[in-house]
Amino acid sequence: MGAANLSNAAAIVGAAESDVIGYPEDLTGHKVTSLQHHIQAIKNVSVQTGVPISEIQGIFSAGWSGELAEHLGVTPRYLDTTSVGGCSFQIHVHHALAAIHAGIIDIALVSHGEAGWSYRGGGGGGGGGRGQISPGAEMTAAYGTFGAPSQYAHAMVRHFHQFGTSQEDFAHISVVTRDWAQLNPRAVMYGKKQSPFGGPITVQDVLDARIIAWPLTLYHCCLVSDHGGAVIVARPEVARSLRTNPVWVTGAGESMGHQNILEMEDFTATSASRSSATAYKMAGLGPQDMEMAMIYDSFTITAGITAEMLGLAPRGKGYTLWKDGHAAPGGRLPINTNGGGLSFNHSGMYGMQLLVEAYRQLSRTAEDGVNGIEGKQTQATTCVVNGTGGTLSTTGTLVLTSDDR
Amino acid sequence: MAYTKPIPPQGQHTKPFWEGAKAGKLMLPRCRDCNRVHWYPRLICPFCHSTNLEWIEASGKGRLHTFAVQHRAFGGWAEEVPYVTAYIDLDEGDRMMTVLRGVDPTKPEEIKIGARVEVEFEQANDDTSIPFWRVVEQAGE
Repeated sequence: MGAANLSNAAAIVGAAESDVIGYPEDLTGHKVTSLQHHIQAIKNVSVQTGVPISEIQGIFSAGWSGELAEHLGVTPRYLDTTSVGGCSFQIHVHHALAAIHAGIIDIALVSHGEAGWSYRGGGGGGGGGRGQISPGAEMTAAYGTFGAPSQYAHAMVRHFHQFGTSQEDFAHISVVTRDWAQLNPRAVMYGKKQSPFGGPITVQDVLDARIIAWPLTLYHCCLVSDHGGAVIVARPEVARSLRTNPVWVTGAGESMGHQNILEMEDFTATSASRSSATAYKMAGLGPQDMEMAMIYDSFTITAGITAEMLGLAPRGKGYTLWKDGHAAPGGRLPINTNGGGLSFNHSGMYGMQLLVEAYRQLSRTAEDGVNGIEGKQTQATTCVVNGTGGTLSTTGTLVLTSDDR
Repeated sequence: MAYTKPIPPQGQHTKPFWEGAKAGKLMLPRCRDCNRVHWYPRLICPFCHSTNLEWIEASGKGRLHTFAVQHRAFGGWAEEVPYVTAYIDLDEGDRMMTVLRGVDPTKPEEIKIGARVEVEFEQANDDTSIPFWRVVEQAGE
């Protein structure tokens, strides 16, 4: 055992700073913001090295990586926004070295912008100095959207328009996912004992539920609940030495389209098309090889679109996996076998719940009597897992395979 | 009547937009090198990465890209539910968010993607006028 030899696996090829550092005011007497420092330094290092900004594949910064990628109009395939204080940038170089050595990226950007003096007193040294609202938020703050459902509803309307789909088509996703929750005693919607809203539901129930943001009714939306979860990842020698069944990380990929949904080019398509393409390629497998799927279902529209992006269904037809029963218990492609964010548990960031259930299914522990009863364990040996973050913004895809495959 | 809904804090490089709005003009950033308009306002062109940017007065016309009807809201907006939020494809290019006027929020099936829209401004306070968009013509069948 021991670390791979990363020595000399990458080099720093340029370094630059923002235009005015120290105690800056711009020509009109305004303070310079943290975002300005970032963008100026990035432009300057691009000019210095001759590396076009459009060729940056990985973005590393202390909390800014999504905002920077969107502002620059790039869609990196490696995002790291580790923020652990003043040493973050040394750590970013370490992480970039590992990503380059692994062959995931060739060119990484590490960026810093901190208006520590101009915006002093706004939180103190080390973490403060962000300065002003992001321009994307500034230009959307006036318009009365509150939380995720108010935004995701726009994506569903656009899907209706482009593909002729309806509220009813997406309602099947809620119904089938609730059926899975009936096989998971830990699901919030397992039964009436757990919640007055628990137990099986029908398409009509979904359509008749109160409207949150048309066309999303309550049952098109995920839960808000508590959750904690953890997984351990280890090298094969360790995995073989343990008493648990290993589940192999056969493929992995990540991408982002935007941070603010204002910047989403096609409201019916997410970056999961790219993150899954990377993951499938690494795995040497394709969507046709996937025997089950764990798909982020913050809303029915999220699950429907993502199934399309993962190549599990043709464009515009993601919902048919649920409507035609393929995703249901006993179907040919079980999806969200824990009961999903819609009916099992959704704490706000649901990606861990996806991982835990994918591990249980592929390690053959999905029917332990506590987290699953008879009928929940599938025979799948492959599983595509996709998390979606932000507002249909960032995506991470894993292709996991069982040890008995 | 006092404006009770959120008023965005104004940034620095976005000042020409807010100055224009006060005068009833829709100002958009454009790149002098690649000539493309972008929205929201950047410090660098998101298409060609030039920093040679300018502000132009836009036509104030566009088309409805997509929408939603908000039934749950907070603060000043809570008094207006249901209302229609929308994304507008600007005639000059790129996309802007808004609350849509000139439509019936209780009949969402009658709101047409592609409908022609025009901008109008509402004064929120002495420093801020906020652009809203109104449907002026339904999309051609």
